[in-house]
Amino acid sequence: MVFSSIPFLYYFLPIVLLCYAVAPAKCKNMVLLLASLVFYAWGEPKLVLLMAVSVVLGYVFGLLIEKHRGTIHAKYYMIASIVISVGFLGYFKYADFFIANINMATGLSLPLLKVALPIGISFYTFQLISYIVDVYRGTAAQHSLLNLATYIAMFPQLIAGPIVRYTDIAKDLTERVHRFEDIAYGIRRFVIGLSKKVLIANQLGELCDIFQSSGEQSVLFFWMYAISVSLQIYFDFSGYSDMAIGLGRLFGFKFMENFNYPYISKSVTEFWRRWHISLGSWFRDYIYIPLGGNRVSKGRHLFNIFVVWFLTGFWHGAAWNFIVWGLYFAVLLVIEKFFMLKYMERMPKVLVHGYVLLASVISFVIFDAANMASAFAYIGAMFGFGGLPLVSVETLYYLRSYAILLILALIGATPLVKSIANRIMTAQWTESTLGTVLSTALELLVLIVLFVVSTAYLVDGSFNPFLYFRF
Amino acid sequence: MKQKKYRIYTCVFAVLFFSLSIVCWLKPADAFSVTERRPLDQFPTLNVNTLLNGSFMSKFEEYTLDQFPLRDDFRSLKAMVSKYVLGQKDNNNIYIVDGQISELDVAVNEKALSKAINKFTTIYDTYMKDTNVHVYYSMIPDKNYFLAEQHGYPALDYDVLREKLHIGLDYMQYIDIFPLLSIGDYYYTDTHWRQDCIVEVAKHLADAMGTDIDTVYTTQELDNPFYGVYYGQLGLPVDADRITYLTNDTLANCIVYDHQNDREMSVYDMDKAADRDPYEMFLGGSLAVITIDNPNANTDKELVIFRDSFGSSIAPLLVEGYAKITLLDARYLHQNMIGNFVTFDNQDVLFLHSTSVLNNEIAFK
Repeated sequence: MVFSSIPFLYYFLPIVLLCYAVAPAKCKNMVLLLASLVFYAWGEPKLVLLMAVSVVLGYVFGLLIEKHRGTIHAKYYMIASIVISVGFLGYFKYADFFIANINMATGLSLPLLKVALPIGISFYTFQLISYIVDVYRGTAAQHSLLNLATYIAMFPQLIAGPIVRYTDIAKDLTERVHRFEDIAYGIRRFVIGLSKKVLIANQLGELCDIFQSSGEQSVLFFWMYAISVSLQIYFDFSGYSDMAIGLGRLFGFKFMENFNYPYISKSVTEFWRRWHISLGSWFRDYIYIPLGGNRVSKGRHLFNIFVVWFLTGFWHGAAWNFIVWGLYFAVLLVIEKFFMLKYMERMPKVLVHGYVLLASVISFVIFDAANMASAFAYIGAMFGFGGLPLVSVETLYYLRSYAILLILALIGATPLVKSIANRIMTAQWTESTLGTVLSTALELLVLIVLFVVSTAYLVDGSFNPFLYFRF
Repeated sequence: MKQKKYRIYTCVFAVLFFSLSIVCWLKPADAFSVTERRPLDQFPTLNVNTLLNGSFMSKFEEYTLDQFPLRDDFRSLKAMVSKYVLGQKDNNNIYIVDGQISELDVAVNEKALSKAINKFTTIYDTYMKDTNVHVYYSMIPDKNYFLAEQHGYPALDYDVLREKLHIGLDYMQYIDIFPLLSIGDYYYTDTHWRQDCIVEVAKHLADAMGTDIDTVYTTQELDNPFYGVYYGQLGLPVDADRITYLTNDTLANCIVYDHQNDREMSVYDMDKAADRDPYEMFLGGSLAVITIDNPNANTDKELVIFRDSFGSSIAPLLVEGYAKITLLDARYLHQNMIGNFVTFDNQDVLFLHSTSVLNNEIAFK
């Protein structure tokens, strides 16, 4: 089940909210867990068992690590837990990738396993690992299986993040408060996220599909595609994160922010501080720093960077284009870190922004490509190496048809709208009673319009995949 | 004050959200969508099997989309936002120019054309080769031919399409009707042409097949509005069409037989005129085999038309020149069955299809 679907919005969510609201405090986690299991089983009726096994193992290993804290056994338990979790992930997500590559390298014909990829396995595996490592590092283990299962399986963040740290919500699991302020905030974040997903990301996705099936491509069409897919991925994933954060707040949880306008970055280094923040910080805390981070020799430092970015790419998918995508960023980050950053600070802003946007757009062409050959062909065509005309009738038509959407998406990818909204909502006129009423009514009106229009798009359309579900 | 604001904020949104949700839960399921001309999905079968294999979930999603309260209004809202706010030129590939609604069709589908050519060739080789029949083919331009390029919409290359058919069907004689048609000859909300606008086309076809037609008709108009196939897909509020049809004594005396359902019928099926798709009044709509006998004919010539739905409205206009017309729809009739209905001997044979059908991969298997 996806958040931006009629079954979720009008059938599942109202029932869950009602049950949650009427449940006594001590039963609220049970309601959340049951709802989460139904939510997961809706898409993966059988693989819900795999998640349940992962949770139970995480629970047992957490207790064992805590019990043997300070001894070598704790380390063994931590390693065993990580090996099992990564083993599940490796089997379900990467086995066929390795088999296919072994076959290609050796000429063997080992059969592919063709196992279904459990939705969200990359996300909940990383949450489990963070929990186990944090317990090993000294955090108190969760003694309630119900609470740990609620943390891992909580449907707002279960299948596409943010990757919530146990330490961030450990307190909320047992003693959270529910305030109208949080509920209002949750509603606002959810509706904004839904609109980003349905009104922008899905429409840009349609443009990308039109491009892919077009028989009249041109250099301009390739650029339109590259820009559209970059914006689509951003609005799709950040929209999902907004919805997750909003839903979390409705249930009394405060999840970490996952995006912070990455396209306004002045370097690729900054871009990755603003893009998929929960994943970046996970790799920093559980891979990069344990490897030694930057407090090692230059060679080792480089090695650490490349390992982290190889894994970041590989985490996104079992295909070479994801690995190349990760290593592409590693190269850019290394160049910036060791050579360019000091010069970039003195360069004109337009030039620096242009470089970051170009780097990110090319990265998402690689990211979205079916394979590396296709990625190279696309990038070549963008720079005129495809033997294509500069424009075509079809390109101009779709440029005209999607111009407003592209402009809105470009504006929406900057903090401009938020800044204007904040200025209006915190202006002096809103401090009077009448001003408060009017500003509240205005905000509600905007949200209701966005919600109703998003519903209209959902009712009409069938194009609604979440890109990050495959990770 | 702030706390009050949050409370009001939450309550107003909750009332809207839960109200809509309650309506979703309680609204009785509709059986049919008039605007989309299709049956709507009903609540799926719920059992252990459908739950475990996930079919219940996917069907439930389709059910909720189909049965959403005020579905047509929400679809209209989407179409309006798409057109007037986002400035998009089409809605789900449907566009409107000067009141004329059409569907984008931008690429010549080589696979579809090959399928059509292969189908026609197989039929020709099986039944007509080395016989004394006179074989012709013609194609009816879809509305995009007149609308798309002129208004900045991408259009398929009709020259390429025609060239491919000319090469593939070089054993037939081509009758060009493109110059005789204009956008005004088509319904505003539908893909089809208007019968009262194609009298000259019928004369031209007959003339090219060596038959003279010079008939006078009385134009009739249906009382009920005609919302064509594009109306529901566009989603925007537009005026309905009115179906017009031509009558005279010859047509009134024709004997029409529907071999698919083994029944006699009229040239114009007035029951269907009042039904969901009034265009089906022309020879009863999508039927695989029909014969029209003209007892008042001054000739014993026969015509066999391989046709699509466009043929239903033009065939009555050819009746004057023939004693018998047989209409065959090769999309619904297997080629092995054709011999059961027609013995090919000295007839005129016309393959008449619209470019939208010829360029559609699923039309001919």
